[in-house]
Amino acid sequence: MTWIAQNLWLIPVLPLAASGVIAVNKQRQHKLAATLAIGSMVLAFLLSLCAFSATLIHHGESGVFREVAGFNWLQFGGQWLQLGWVLDPLTAIMLVMVSFVSLLIFIFSVGYMAHDENFTRFFCFMSLFAAAMLGVVIANNLLLFFVCWEIVGLTSYLLIGFWYHKPSAAAAAKKAFITTRIGDLGLLLGMVWLYAETGTLNFYADGHGCLESSALTAMVTHMTAAGMAVSTAIGLLIFLGAVGKSGQLPLHVWLPDAMEGPTPVSALIHAATMVAAGVFLVARVYPLMSAHPEGAAAETAALQVVTWVGALTAIFAASVAVAQTDIKRILAYSTVSQLGYMMLGLGVGGVAVGMFHLITHAFFKALLFLGSGSVIHGCHEEQDVRKMGGLKKFMPVTFATYAIGMLALAGFPLFFSGFWSKDEILHAAHGWPVSHIPFFLGCAGALLTAFYMTRQVALVFFGEYRSSGRQSAHSSSKTDKHEKSAPTHVGGYDGKGEPHESPAVMIVPLVILAVFAILLGFVGTPAWPWFDGFLNGEPAGFNFSKLTESGTLGLMLASAGFVFTGLGLGWWLYGKRQRKTAEEPDVLQVAQPAVFRLLENKYFVDEIYDATGVRFNAWAAQACDFLDRWIWGGVVMLVTWVTLGLSSLYRFTDEFVVDLGFDTGCETLREGGGEMSRWQNGRVQTYLRVIGVALVVLVLFLIWGRKT
Amino acid sequence: MNYLQVLQLAAPEAALAITVLMVLAVDLIALRGKSVARRFGTGAMVSIVGCLMAAVFTFTHYGTTDPLHGLLVVDPLTNFLKVVLLILTIFTVLISASGKFTEHVGEYLALVLLATIGLMFLVSAEDILMIFISLELASLSLYILTAFNKHNAKSSEAALKYFLFGGMSAAFLLFGLSLLYGLSGSTNLSQIAAGLAGRGLDPLLLVAIVTTVIGFGFKVAAVPFHLWAPDAYEGAPTPSAAFIASGSKVASFYILAKILTMGFAGAEGSAVWQGYVSGWTPVITVVAALSMVLGNLTAIVQSSVKRLLAYSAIAHAGYMLLGVLANTPSSRSALLFYVITYALTVLGAFGVVTVVEAATGGDAISNFAGLSRRAPGLSLCLLVFLLSLAGIPPLAGFIGKFFLFSAAVGADAEHLGLLWLVVLAIVMSAVSFYYYLQVLKQAWVLDAAENAPAIKVPPVTMVALVLLAVLVILLGCAPGLLTRHL
Repeated sequence: MTWIAQNLWLIPVLPLAASGVIAVNKQRQHKLAATLAIGSMVLAFLLSLCAFSATLIHHGESGVFREVAGFNWLQFGGQWLQLGWVLDPLTAIMLVMVSFVSLLIFIFSVGYMAHDENFTRFFCFMSLFAAAMLGVVIANNLLLFFVCWEIVGLTSYLLIGFWYHKPSAAAAAKKAFITTRIGDLGLLLGMVWLYAETGTLNFYADGHGCLESSALTAMVTHMTAAGMAVSTAIGLLIFLGAVGKSGQLPLHVWLPDAMEGPTPVSALIHAATMVAAGVFLVARVYPLMSAHPEGAAAETAALQVVTWVGALTAIFAASVAVAQTDIKRILAYSTVSQLGYMMLGLGVGGVAVGMFHLITHAFFKALLFLGSGSVIHGCHEEQDVRKMGGLKKFMPVTFATYAIGMLALAGFPLFFSGFWSKDEILHAAHGWPVSHIPFFLGCAGALLTAFYMTRQVALVFFGEYRSSGRQSAHSSSKTDKHEKSAPTHVGGYDGKGEPHESPAVMIVPLVILAVFAILLGFVGTPAWPWFDGFLNGEPAGFNFSKLTESGTLGLMLASAGFVFTGLGLGWWLYGKRQRKTAEEPDVLQVAQPAVFRLLENKYFVDEIYDATGVRFNAWAAQACDFLDRWIWGGVVMLVTWVTLGLSSLYRFTDEFVVDLGFDTGCETLREGGGEMSRWQNGRVQTYLRVIGVALVVLVLFLIWGRKT
Repeated sequence: MNYLQVLQLAAPEAALAITVLMVLAVDLIALRGKSVARRFGTGAMVSIVGCLMAAVFTFTHYGTTDPLHGLLVVDPLTNFLKVVLLILTIFTVLISASGKFTEHVGEYLALVLLATIGLMFLVSAEDILMIFISLELASLSLYILTAFNKHNAKSSEAALKYFLFGGMSAAFLLFGLSLLYGLSGSTNLSQIAAGLAGRGLDPLLLVAIVTTVIGFGFKVAAVPFHLWAPDAYEGAPTPSAAFIASGSKVASFYILAKILTMGFAGAEGSAVWQGYVSGWTPVITVVAALSMVLGNLTAIVQSSVKRLLAYSAIAHAGYMLLGVLANTPSSRSALLFYVITYALTVLGAFGVVTVVEAATGGDAISNFAGLSRRAPGLSLCLLVFLLSLAGIPPLAGFIGKFFLFSAAVGADAEHLGLLWLVVLAIVMSAVSFYYYLQVLKQAWVLDAAENAPAIKVPPVTMVALVLLAVLVILLGCAPGLLTRHL
C-alpha cells in the first residue's frame, strides 16, 4: 500500500486541527487564524497532489487503481463498525479540486473579510467545512461519509447564517439546514437499509464492500414489495440525500437563499464544493445505482430518476435565472441548473461525464462567485445588477476574469472548459436509449444559460454606471448587512461613490481560477478523453479524428449554435440597448409580463411550499400544541391533582399517625436516657454500693434459676 | 525449664520493660530542661521503637508453648493479640505526642508502656493468679494515667473514683478467685474446670461466677459496673481515655471470654428465651442487655463528647458480651474482630476529640460546630470513625456487628434462643445513630462561630488519624485481613 493511501486521513485532519486551534484562540488573532487556515489548506493541497500523483503513477495498470485503509471503530453485538478511507481516481481528482479551490477561496477571503470583526470565527468555520468536505471525499464508508456530510451541512448552516444579526441570513440558514435535512433522512434510511441488506457500510473492502460485485449481485436479485430491486430502492433513497444537498428539484429552494452568506462562502460551499457533494455521492455509489441483473437494460430505474431530475432542474433553474436581478442569485440559479446538468450527465453517461462537468464547473463557478464578490465589494456592497453598469472601466481585471468565467459557463466553443464538459453531457444524452427529451431539455438549458449570463455581464460591466454614491449603496435592503462589519473597504472609499478595483489578494485567486477555467476543458475533449479514461482506469490516446466524426461534430455544432443564439439574443436585448436608470422595467417584462412575473418569482415554488408544506406544518404544530396543552396537559394535570391529593393523605397519616407514634417513642427514649443519666450522680459511695447490690441481686438471680 | 527460656518466651514484654526504663532515662538525663514538645517527640520515638521491637519479638515464636502450666501461654493468637495491643499503644503514643496536659513526659509514656506490658501478660495468662497480677499491673497504671492532668481537678477526681471503684471490684474478683481455688484446688483454668466438673452448681460457685463477672465487668465497663467510666473518660487526659477504651478493652474481653469458657466450662447455664438455666450465661445476658439499653439511652442526653463516647463504650460492651455469650469458635473470632476494630475506631475518635479539645478548649458537642470548614481532613476522619461506631457499611463497625450478631444467632440456631437479645441489640444500635449523628451534624451541617479560625492539626496526629481511618475502611472492605488471624 502506498504511503499516501495509508495516511490519507491527514488531509481532512489538518484543516480540522486548524479549525480547533482557531476556535480556542482569541478573537483578535486575525493573522494567526488566517495563517493556520491557509497553512493547513496548503498542506492538505500538497498531500492531495501526492495522492493524485500516486493514482497517476498507477494509472493504466489493470483496472481502476484503488487502495483502502481503515480501522475498527466500535463494536455492537458480534459486529465491528469500521471507518476507513479509499484512494482511487475519483477521490484523488475531488481531493485536488476541493483543496485547491478552497485554498484560493481562503486567500480571497483574507481580503474580502478583512474588516469583519468575526474574522477568526469565519476562518474557523471555513476550515471546519473544508475538513468535513475532504472527509466526505476520502470516506470509504457510508457511515463516515454521512458523518462528514452532516458536518458539512452544519458548517453550511453556520456560514450562511454568519451574519446572523440579519434576519434574512438567519432565516436562510435555517431554511438550508431544514431543507437538506429532508434529503438526509432519505440518505439515512438508505444507509440503514444498505446495512441491513449487506451487513457492511464499507464501499470497497477486497470484495466484501457494499459496492462490490458480490453484494451488488445479492441486492439486484432481491426484490422489494413494489417489484423494484433492492439496489434500486436503496439507490433512490441515497439519491434523495443528493437531491437535498445538490439543490435539485424539488429541494432546490434553499440554495438561492443561501446567498445571504458572505460571498466566499457562496463560492466555496454553494458553487464549488458542498453542492457538488451530492453529485459526488451519486458518483460514489454509482455501482449501486447502475446495478442491474444480467441481461437487463443498463438504464436502471434509479439512473432514469437521476436523469429526469437532473434535466428538469437544469431547464427550470436556467429559466428562473433569466429574470433575477441580484447578481449572486443569478449565479445561484445558474449553479442549480449546472448541478442539474451534472446529474443528467451521471444519469445518461456515467461517472466520468458527470464528474468532468463537476470539476470544470467548480473552477469557473468559483471564479464567477469570487468575481461577483469583487464586484459587490467594489460597488460598496451593492448586489442589484440594475444599479451597476459600466464596471468594465472601473475594474478591468475583474471584468476580464469574469468574462472568462461567463464564457466557460455559457459553453463558448472550443476554448473554454464548460463547452467540453457540457458537450460531453449533451452527447451522452443524445445517445440515451430511453428518451430524447432530456437531450432537448439540456439544449434549451444551454441556450438559456448563454442568454442569462450575457444579460448579467451586459448589465454589470457595460453601459453607464447607474448608481451614484454612498446613498444608493445603502438604500437597498439587500445591502445593509455590513453596517457594523464593513464600514470601510479595502480599496479605500473614494468619497465619490465610484466603484473601484479590488486588492491583489482578491484579484490573484481570480486570475488563477480563470486560467483553470480555460485549460481544464482540454483534459476531456472527444479527441483526448483522458479524464474519462483516468476515472475508468483505461489509457487514453490522442485521436483527432474523433472530433470530426459525424455524430460528435454535428452535436458540437448544434450546441455551439445554441450557445451563440443565447449570446446573441442576450447581447441584442441587454447589451446594445442599455437601460438608462435602475428603475426601468426589464425588456422581457415589457414584452411578456406574465411569463416574466412567473420567472421572477421562481415559479412560485417558495409560495407553494409556504402554502402547503409550511402551512401544514404550522397547522400540525398548532394541533399538537392544542393536544399538548389541553389533552395531554389535562391528563397530566389530573394525575398531578390525584398525586397531590394522595400525598396530602400520606402527609396526614405520616404527621398524625406515624410521626406521632415515632415522636412519642423517641421522646420516651430520650426521657429514659435522661432518667438513667440521673443515676450517675457522681458520688463514689453510690457507685460502690451499686456493686454490692449487683452482687446480691445477681447471686439471688442465679440461685433462683438453679431451683427452677 | 530455666529462666533463660522464660525470658525468651517473654521477650516482647521484656523488651517493652527495657523500653520503659529507657524512656525514663532519656527523659531524665538527656532531655532535662528541653521543651515539652521536644521531650514528648523524643520519648514517643523511643516508645514506638520499643513497641516495634517487641512486635518483632513476638514473631520469634510459632506454635503453642505452655512451659509454666498456664502462667505464660504463647500461641499464634496471643502473639497476634500482643501485636494488636502494641499497635494500639503506638497510636496512643502518637496521639499523646502533641499533648500539653503534663510536663511529666517520661512518666506518662512509661506508664502507658507498663500498662501495655500488663495487658500483654494478661492475654498470655491461663492461671488465675497471673491473671490477677497482670490485671492489677494494667489497672494501676491506668489509674495513674487518668490522674495525669494535674491542672484539672476533674482529672484527679476521676482517677480517685476510678481507683476506688477498681479497687473494690478487684477485691470482689480476688474473693471470687479464692473461692474458685477453694472449690477446685487449682489456679490453672483448665484444672479448675476439671475440678468443678460433676459437682453441680454449688452456691459458692455461683458467687464466684458473679464476682468474676464483677471484676471484668468493671474492666469492660458493663452495666452496672460502668459507673466509673463516664467520669473517668471525661476527666482523664484524652489520650489516657483513648487507651482505657481501646487497649484495655481488647485484653479484658479476651481474658473474660477465656475465664468464662475455660474456667467455668460446664457451668454455662442457659439464657435462651423461656429456657433459663442458672450458670454464667444468664449473668452475662443480664449485664449485656442492661449495658446496651442504658449505654445507648444515656448517651442520647450527653453534651460532652467524651462522656458520649463513654456511654457508647458501655453500649458496645453490651454488644460484645453477645460474642462471649454465644460461646462458639465463630463467636470468639467475631468478638475479637469486633473488639479490635472497635479499639482502632474509638482510638481515632478520641484522637479527633484531643485535637478539637486543644483547639477549642472543651469537648462539648457544640465545640464541634462547623468543624468541616475549620478542619476538613479532621472532620472526614471523624465521619469515618463515628459512622463505623454506628455500624454503617462499608466500614469496619458494620462488618463487626454483622459477624457478632450472626454468630450470636448461629450459636443456638435451632431455637433462635439468643434472637431476642440480638433484636434488642439491633434496635439499640438504631438508637445509637441519633447521638453519633448529633456530633456529625455539628461538624458537617452547622456553621462555626463567627471568625472561628481554621484548626491546625499536629501533623503526627493527622498521620495517625488518617492511618486509623484507612484501617477502619480497609477492614470494613476486606475483613479477611483480620479474621484469618483470629
